[in-house]
Amino acid sequence: MSVKNWLKERFPIDYAKFIEINENIFMKEPIPNHLKKWYYCTGATPLILLALQIVTGILLTFYFMPSPEMAYESVRHITQDVRLGFWVRGLHRWGSNLMIIALLLHMTRVFFTASYQKPREINWMIGVILFFLTLTFSFTGYALTYNQLSYWATTVGTNMFDAVPVIGHSILVFMRGGEEVTANTLTRFFTFHVGMLPPLIILFLAMHIIILRIHGVSEPEGYEKGYYSFYPHHFYKIIIITLFVLCVLSTLTIIYPPGLGTPADPTVTPTHIKPEWYFFPTYRFLKLVPLNIGIIVSGLFVVGMIFWPFIEPMLSKNKSTRTKIAWVVGAMVIILTVGLSVWETVVA
Amino acid sequence: MTEEKVKSRREFLRGLGIASAVVIAIGVFFRNVLAYLYPPAKEKTYHKYLVAKVDEIPVGKAKEMTLSNQPIFVVHLEEGYKVFSGVCTHLGCIVRWEEQKGRFYCPCHQGIFDKTGVVTGGPPPRPLDEFEVKVDKKLVFIKTEDKMEGPWT
Amino acid sequence: MDTVKAQQWLIGIFSTLLIVILIIVASVEMKKSASEKPYVEIDKKSAQCITCHEKQNIAVKQVEAWKESKHAVMGIGCTECHAAEEGDFDAFKCPQSDVLVASHPTPKDCAECHDQEVEEFENSKHAHQFWLFANADRSIFENPISARHGCEQCHQISNVWPDGSVGECDACHPKHSFSIEVARQPETCGECHIGPDHPHIEIYNESKHGNIFAARGKDWDMNYNTTNNEPIPIEAPVCVTCHMDGNETQPMTHDVSARLAFESQAPWSFRTVWDEENLGTWEEKRGRMEAICASCHSPNFYKIYLLTADLVNLQYNEMRRMFVYWTKKLTKDGKISQIKVGDKTYSNPVINGWDEKPEELMYYAWHHEGRRFRHGAMMMGADYTQWHGIWELQEDMVEMITWAAEHGDAEAQKWVDSNHPSKFAPYALYDIPGSAWGIPTRTNTTPFLYNNYPDYWERIYANVEEAYKNNLLSKDQWELWLERYENRDHYLGTKYKDNEAVKELFDMYQKRNAIDKKAFNEQAVKLDLPGKPFYKK
Repeated sequence: MSVKNWLKERFPIDYAKFIEINENIFMKEPIPNHLKKWYYCTGATPLILLALQIVTGILLTFYFMPSPEMAYESVRHITQDVRLGFWVRGLHRWGSNLMIIALLLHMTRVFFTASYQKPREINWMIGVILFFLTLTFSFTGYALTYNQLSYWATTVGTNMFDAVPVIGHSILVFMRGGEEVTANTLTRFFTFHVGMLPPLIILFLAMHIIILRIHGVSEPEGYEKGYYSFYPHHFYKIIIITLFVLCVLSTLTIIYPPGLGTPADPTVTPTHIKPEWYFFPTYRFLKLVPLNIGIIVSGLFVVGMIFWPFIEPMLSKNKSTRTKIAWVVGAMVIILTVGLSVWETVVA
Repeated sequence: MTEEKVKSRREFLRGLGIASAVVIAIGVFFRNVLAYLYPPAKEKTYHKYLVAKVDEIPVGKAKEMTLSNQPIFVVHLEEGYKVFSGVCTHLGCIVRWEEQKGRFYCPCHQGIFDKTGVVTGGPPPRPLDEFEVKVDKKLVFIKTEDKMEGPWT
Repeated sequence: MDTVKAQQWLIGIFSTLLIVILIIVASVEMKKSASEKPYVEIDKKSAQCITCHEKQNIAVKQVEAWKESKHAVMGIGCTECHAAEEGDFDAFKCPQSDVLVASHPTPKDCAECHDQEVEEFENSKHAHQFWLFANADRSIFENPISARHGCEQCHQISNVWPDGSVGECDACHPKHSFSIEVARQPETCGECHIGPDHPHIEIYNESKHGNIFAARGKDWDMNYNTTNNEPIPIEAPVCVTCHMDGNETQPMTHDVSARLAFESQAPWSFRTVWDEENLGTWEEKRGRMEAICASCHSPNFYKIYLLTADLVNLQYNEMRRMFVYWTKKLTKDGKISQIKVGDKTYSNPVINGWDEKPEELMYYAWHHEGRRFRHGAMMMGADYTQWHGIWELQEDMVEMITWAAEHGDAEAQKWVDSNHPSKFAPYALYDIPGSAWGIPTRTNTTPFLYNNYPDYWERIYANVEEAYKNNLLSKDQWELWLERYENRDHYLGTKYKDNEAVKELFDMYQKRNAIDKKAFNEQAVKLDLPGKPFYKK
């Protein structure tokens, strides 16, 4: 094995140790029994989707051009001219949608199993940050297609920051690269989307996983204690999810390929403008109340979400009462989210 | 044959089936990705493009014009018309038509082509690139590639 | 089954599913929505013209149109067509430059490349200046300025240029795109072939052909090439499909006279003798038209259709004979007079005349009604043969004879005094048993002449035979007519008029008609309002 020796000379590390670490950390990672149920495994899905988003995203940058003249035209080119371009674009678009669904499922699971409780509060907070990073990803990515709807979603979306007290206007100018939505906005969004957000999300994701591994997966009550090793059971499970996700994305792309819309026209606002569906709850809520109040309440909601693991213990000293209140809060948030989304979808 | 052996063979075939399905699935996936990355080679089509009228250039003379921002030369020879690309076949400099000498001269490395495009001196490895010429009634046409308006061609 | 095994199965299943989906993905190609425009190379000379024209804002749209043209792609720039030499009739220098250009490219310029098309055009009646020969004296009725934007505009298509060429190519091929698509639009022909004297576009719009075009034409690609003996690519014909385009058996032609067999616009219908050296006899010309019909129709249909239309043309001549007879007689008797200066006359008792009623009626009966009657029959415009045709022709005739009677003509007075139904057919008749559309069972039971003249069909036979003997019908047509004549019971449907099913149906409608009639009487005719009118008799 000359190649092996050649490598060993250049990377003089203890291979026995390396294999042992690999065995301990990955292959034989103890997985609690309850993870055999798929609904406890929703954390892996966003990870897989993220990997897929990175791959398809890189592929899209081969053809995409972030300028007002070329953005729409290049998206059209990808969709209509490039071989399988519609598929790569479809995977990316549907991937972003499924990622948000996957995250919502994951958060729901974590919330109702109360996995955010001591000592895992920090990981919950990182998780919430990851969720908002994902939304930012979606928002910036949607703007890049530069059609009428996405252009005006960007205009309206960035305008909302103006209502944020004190720093709002600075944020708006920073995001738009000026007072108005211009060519600067597009290049900025492109830089956010492909340059700044990916390392950020990877950084937070690494922290999320390291903390998870340090503590181990939280175990819900009522399950028989016991573990099985990562390989082969859980490894296979992840492969199945990957294959399944790819099947679903490809099928969705074929049946509902993302459209192009009409090219962005800064002089004409379409009669019905809407953000992407995952902003529907916020959008509908902001329609219901004055903008200032809406922004403040939304801000408080985000803060509440981030600090939930510290808020929950303050609710009651009785553990079962606490759990009940938490469940009610969780259920309320979900019902509100779903309700507002449906409302916005049905009412044009 | 023992029960054991049958069982292990069946096991093997199943494993093989699953493994090959996985490999093919990944293969098709990457095949699609490669198809995405490589623009399809389009079959080239041509159309006629007018370069001169027959009575415009005296025999032995040449006319320079521009096609897609590249110079081309229409040479009227005794035996008919020839149309050359003005790009030197050596390193891509632009040749000059020297009317007195009836030849093309490339100033970069002293490449010389005669009026039929053949290399007569200097480093160029092959004759000047030629366009197919078609004389239709009183008009001299060349065959040139169909191109579409837009940023992708 | 243990879990590991189950998971392996799942992986296998999903992999297979993925393969299937990915292959479907690979085979689905997105439809292109954006249409591609060919890249236009603008040579230096043209660029010079274009830059200046754009800067001065002169005819900029024409430059845009040129960029859409096939010319632009092929490097046919401004000076290729607008080339001029010192002394040319249309040579002029752009005010901003020293370039000598021709202001009016003529068919001679087009012929440099399109020599076949120009030659065909020159041989067609489009290029014929008949309107200057026969109708020169018409200019006394219409004042000159009206002619500028009136008759001269359409007849520019036969303009004779100082350079000896004839015609105006851009009358149909709009400059500067020279779009075949636009040239093919029926509306292009309809720029001139419109109005009371020859409502061809209206006839086309009324026909089934025109209706299909109106319904579906917007989706048709009218840019097709027709020079390679390929099938007609559109579902129903537009004007040029029959008159110019090629099909599998016919070459495309710019000679619109190549396929016409009747001079049905003339004061008398006559079998065309136009350019027989090149085009052959009228029968050869008809053969060319039939070859186009054959793309969509069976000979059974179009031969009968065209024979019937030919008989309409011949019938017109017999009616025409009446108008000529009366205007000649009235002129001779001094009841109407010609326009003249000294001995030179400026009107003609059988062609035109403007100041007396019979002249006017005779003119309309040819130039307006007479053409509508014939052309409607040729091109499936039933309403033009009927209400705008025969009805008005007959009215003209009645009015003319009545005018003669009022002005003391005894023969006319006798006609006016007659109460016999046959007075409305004072001329010889043509007819054909049945139509191209099918067998009518009751239609032919009503005509007065059918019912009262047992020798009706013998008289018709003699007339049609005479027409055939005078080469107004081909042998083929005569035989076709004979076959119908011999089986006229069948073709007229009289053989079937008393069939059980026919009778039953007809009775049923008669009963319904009686109900209608009763209601009509009760609701309207017998209604007597109690509030009396204000005017007292």
